[in-house]
Amino acid sequence: MTLTEPGRPNEARRHAFLPSDVDPTVFDEAFLRQLERLLLLMKSPVRGGLKGGRRSVKRGQSVEFADYRDYSLGDDLRQLDWNVYARLERLFVKLFVEEEDVTVTFLIDASASMAAGRPPKLLFAKRAAAALGYIGLASEDRVAVSVLGGRLARRQPSLRGSGRVFRLLTNLSAIVPADGPTDLLATARRAAAMLTGRGVLVLISDLLDPNAERVVRELAGTSAELIVLHVLSPDELDPKLEGDIRLVDSETGDGVDVTVDLATIDGYKARLAAWQTGFAELAAKRRASYVTVSSDVPLAELVFAELRRRRVIG
Amino acid sequence: MPFATPLALLGLLFVPAVVAMYLLKLRRDEAIVPSTLLWNRLVADVEANAPWQRLRRNLLLLLQLLLVIALAILAARPFVERPAGLARDLVLIVDASASMGATDVVPNRLAAAKQAAIDALRDLPSGGKVSVIAAGRTARVVATGSGDMARVRQAIDSIDVTASTGDLGDALRLASALAARSGDAQILVATDAALATVPTTRVDAPVRVLQVGRQRQNQAIVALAIRTAPSGLTKSAFVSVANLDDVQAKRRLEVYADGALIDSRDLYIDPQARAEIVVDDITQQNKRVVNAIEVRLVDDPEETASSDRLASDDRAWAIVPRDRLRRVLLVTDGDPYLETALTYLPNTELYGVSPANYGPSTHPEKFDLIVFDAHLPQSLPSTPILAIAPDRSGPLGDVAGSLTAPGIGSLDPQEPILRYVDLSTTHIAEAKKLVLPAWARSVIPGPAGAPLLYAGDRAGLRTAVLAFEPRRSDLPLQVAFPILVANLAGELMGASSGPNDAVKPGDPVSLPIPSGATGLHVTRPDGTSVDLVPGTVGGTTVTFSQTDQPGVYTVTPVLPPSASGSPGASASATPSPSPGASGSAAPDIDPGTPFRFAVDLFDVGESNIAPGNASAISALGNSGTTGATPGASGAPAPSGNGTAVAQRPAARDELWGPILLIALAVLSVEWAVYQRDALIRVWRGIGARRRRPAGGS
Repeated sequence: MTLTEPGRPNEARRHAFLPSDVDPTVFDEAFLRQLERLLLLMKSPVRGGLKGGRRSVKRGQSVEFADYRDYSLGDDLRQLDWNVYARLERLFVKLFVEEEDVTVTFLIDASASMAAGRPPKLLFAKRAAAALGYIGLASEDRVAVSVLGGRLARRQPSLRGSGRVFRLLTNLSAIVPADGPTDLLATARRAAAMLTGRGVLVLISDLLDPNAERVVRELAGTSAELIVLHVLSPDELDPKLEGDIRLVDSETGDGVDVTVDLATIDGYKARLAAWQTGFAELAAKRRASYVTVSSDVPLAELVFAELRRRRVIG
Repeated sequence: MPFATPLALLGLLFVPAVVAMYLLKLRRDEAIVPSTLLWNRLVADVEANAPWQRLRRNLLLLLQLLLVIALAILAARPFVERPAGLARDLVLIVDASASMGATDVVPNRLAAAKQAAIDALRDLPSGGKVSVIAAGRTARVVATGSGDMARVRQAIDSIDVTASTGDLGDALRLASALAARSGDAQILVATDAALATVPTTRVDAPVRVLQVGRQRQNQAIVALAIRTAPSGLTKSAFVSVANLDDVQAKRRLEVYADGALIDSRDLYIDPQARAEIVVDDITQQNKRVVNAIEVRLVDDPEETASSDRLASDDRAWAIVPRDRLRRVLLVTDGDPYLETALTYLPNTELYGVSPANYGPSTHPEKFDLIVFDAHLPQSLPSTPILAIAPDRSGPLGDVAGSLTAPGIGSLDPQEPILRYVDLSTTHIAEAKKLVLPAWARSVIPGPAGAPLLYAGDRAGLRTAVLAFEPRRSDLPLQVAFPILVANLAGELMGASSGPNDAVKPGDPVSLPIPSGATGLHVTRPDGTSVDLVPGTVGGTTVTFSQTDQPGVYTVTPVLPPSASGSPGASASATPSPSPGASGSAAPDIDPGTPFRFAVDLFDVGESNIAPGNASAISALGNSGTTGATPGASGAPAPSGNGTAVAQRPAARDELWGPILLIALAVLSVEWAVYQRDALIRVWRGIGARRRRPAGGS
């Protein structure tokens, strides 16, 4: 799979319809084939793109009937269904789908740590954003991408309509990892400040930041529905280290001396699991979705198995 | 805790060296990880960057320090002291007699005795010295005053069972001499106390006995002899088997002729009794010449348990004597008594010549014995000689005159020439007055020191001189005369072959060197061989002492290259045959013909393996301090040894055993800790393999 072997650009063949400013090493032919396959699979069940968008539908002023509910004191009497009252002598209020412009915003962590791993987590993040963004565009949602790197959050112009998919790919392929350390909290705050109205917020990050929990907490506190895609590379999930070594942080350059043996690895895995559980609990508490994923998971599996299983997409 | 080599504790200096090596910063390989966030949390409580914290938690370092300490202590040889149970100078006697080969204790009594002795040496005070004596047929010192216990153990281990009768008295005398040099000495005897000869030597040192052996089950061949039948044609073997046990024994006796089984008998022997067995006609079997007879006492195949605990006395050997014609030349003017007596000698051809005709042409060197009756030639031949009433002085002795009616002095009952010879009624009319030469012994003493018969070894030649002519006495009329002549002939001609009777193991044996041979080549029963040369040029006998192995020894004369043929074979025998003697020319005897002799134990006392009375041996010592055991320091110190006992250093028990075990345990744990990942992986692999079949079913 080309997806799992990103370090070989020579083998990546440019798709015939791919614009010239799309990085062929990020969105190679194999990926595009997967995307096409994704589209075919999406055709029948596509009703409303991402789950967050569907859940945010307001029942209110609209022409499209949605549901009934019992009348309660204070409801608008104009919404009562008198025909039903005539038949059943009970009061029901008609609910209508409120058509709202939903924005799907991708917050892509472009810190230096995201560039690490095999395959690199950032590459996986870009492809995941492309796939999910494609679904969003196909569902007539607005799709926006914000890049969290360094101390800045760069928000790219939002796109709409399935015809803009190549623009999305171009934008995504232009993302490069930050050179120095990244303040995830500050950049996430800035990105959150740029959100407009309701929508879906997809944070794709390895969360390897001391303030990651606050980031999740604050983003979950916004009006948007938060989906956290926690990406870790296979060698982070199961480190292949042994002996007396000095681990050097790729972002900060700080080192930590550690004697790695089986017990250490076991301890690491236990801590990793506890760390992920902490995020999962936090997300559950804040009504956000949290999905952990390894960067070597095939995209189709991510979309159709992992995200569906977790009811992230409908 | 005291140490034997405290300087070795300097090895503890390696402890700071090991710590220093751990404190030195390890040069680590760097590995770039996306983030050290999780790792930082992991090592937060380990405090990896603080050396002292790491040190405290590093199990490997602790184990290595423990190992260094254990090794340093081990090298310093710690010990504990306790009161010594033995004297400072110990003489250890290990009985190596044949009975110590008994297998009633596993593997045998000697091994048990050696182990008991080594165990007893633990009670030796520090700085004590040990002399070790192996008590076989003679006492042999294998270690003298050695303080090196390893050497002492080696010396004890080097002692082997001998096949001979032990002489504990000899060993005790030697031990007493060794002990006398010390003020604080003790004799330790490791023995089964089954002694053929009970020692009576008093020893001026305490004697302690380490007794081994429990049973007395043994049957032994105590005699084996080959006798010629009265017809002179066949030979018989006489075997005597003794049952030294308290119950009846059933054994099987097998008789071998030159290695081939010729007879087998089942024996039922009463307790403490002997069975005498005669095996007839041993040489006519298979119509061939038989050199040696071997008898073996084997277990009855139907008996499940052996009733014999000592194997060395279950085999015996005997040599079948050769029938060889001997030629005797009688130089006489005529003496019918003498001629008749000589004619009766078995396997003998008698030749006669008158003194006038005697000369070099007679070839005197071709005779086994020349009898000169009354006349002596000018030059004596190089053969055994019996001179009767020599007429003049010469190399055979001086003639100082004549004696008339000389009386016979007191006779030596052990004298072999006079065996069965009764001279109590003999009267002599006239005899020569002879002077006893230095090389001879007086056989029949006469008046005033003048011997009537003397015999001896004259320059290697057996020689006897009779002072009177038989016909000048009434001796020829008595039955003693032919016996005396036969004994004299046997004495004078008997040296021409090896010993006929069995030799005791360890006893030296005198072997004749045939004329023309330069030496002897002796092959022992185990196949090893020894070359013997006479001590003096022209010597006719040589002493062989390496007879420690029972069995048949083969002696081959070594001939010079030029003398390999039969000397004198072409020379014709010119003497005229005497009356009654066969006139045919006797075959010449090749001096290169090998001869044999047998070495056998044949000692009922040694074969009796019943453990004896150890206290009788202890009683030979200075009994006052016999009971010098640990804790007996309060006992009154007798004799002059009291001061020495009081000043005796304590015995030391070195503690290397447990420390070595600790060091090995620490080393094993250290290895396991170092390899713990691999071990855990193996363990998990085994667990997974076990679970898999269970889940599959």
